[in-house]
Amino acid sequence: MKRMRKSMNWLAVTVALILFVPAAKAQSQNPLSDPEIASVAVTANQIDVDYGQLALKKSHNADIRKFAETMISDHKNIIQQAAALAQRLHVTPKTNAMTQSLLNGETTTMKTLKAKSGTAFDKAYAQNEAAYHEAVVGAVKTKLIPETQNAELKGLLQSVVPLLEHHTMMAKELASKF
Amino acid sequence: MKKFFQIVAVCFSGCLILAGCNNGSNSSTVENSGPQRDTVIIKLMAFTPDTLTVNKGDTVVWINQDIVAHDVSHFPDRAWHSDTLNPQNVFVKVIDDSSSYFCSIHPTMRATVLLKK
Repeated sequence: MKRMRKSMNWLAVTVALILFVPAAKAQSQNPLSDPEIASVAVTANQIDVDYGQLALKKSHNADIRKFAETMISDHKNIIQQAAALAQRLHVTPKTNAMTQSLLNGETTTMKTLKAKSGTAFDKAYAQNEAAYHEAVVGAVKTKLIPETQNAELKGLLQSVVPLLEHHTMMAKELASKF
Repeated sequence: MKKFFQIVAVCFSGCLILAGCNNGSNSSTVENSGPQRDTVIIKLMAFTPDTLTVNKGDTVVWINQDIVAHDVSHFPDRAWHSDTLNPQNVFVKVIDDSSSYFCSIHPTMRATVLLKK
């Protein structure tokens, strides 16, 4: 049991590192352009939709399923708004190093989550959601918002922060049940 | 003749002032005695105001001005609740009792309606 708890903690730490290190590295490099920020925003939201869809496939736990449904619905909603805004502003999302590191992180996490089942999966999913949202909130606040040039795109990112913070709290509460 | 018009003008304006006062006090009596309507805005993952004090029988209108769907549910058992409120949807409820409420979609969002004593 102790061993399992240790491995779960390592999973959370690994996820945080996968997200934070490339983000921190990118921060020291050139600032992102608005099309690059749009790409990061859409990708980060889509990744959480993907995690939610995996949870609906694998979990029978009512709390996990309800949380996953909320994540899918909320993040799809943000993607739609970001896409509509990008279209209106004639901004085409542009893939960049940060987008790629998010996708690499998703591949690694998906592999780990897919290898688990039952309560082990539920716990790992909830812990990953807490770590992932925490990392994304950090990146949005310290990198994406400060580097965004367009006022409307900046406004959308700012309005998303409270939602991501509540998702983090909800995920932590969920993880504490396992 | 000039004095006559001055007297008429003074009487006329006096009547208007009295009518205005009377009208004002009547409407304020009506407003105070009948049920009131209060509004709670749902925005940036919060109910604003987060504590609302009303008289029994008053109506509260919740307006979802946020970017995602929410609901308004009695805390903790959902004894009463709205449907899912998509952005710009509204929920209206007559308040009969004090209660805490929350968004069951995002349970970390909580607020209270209190009855005046």
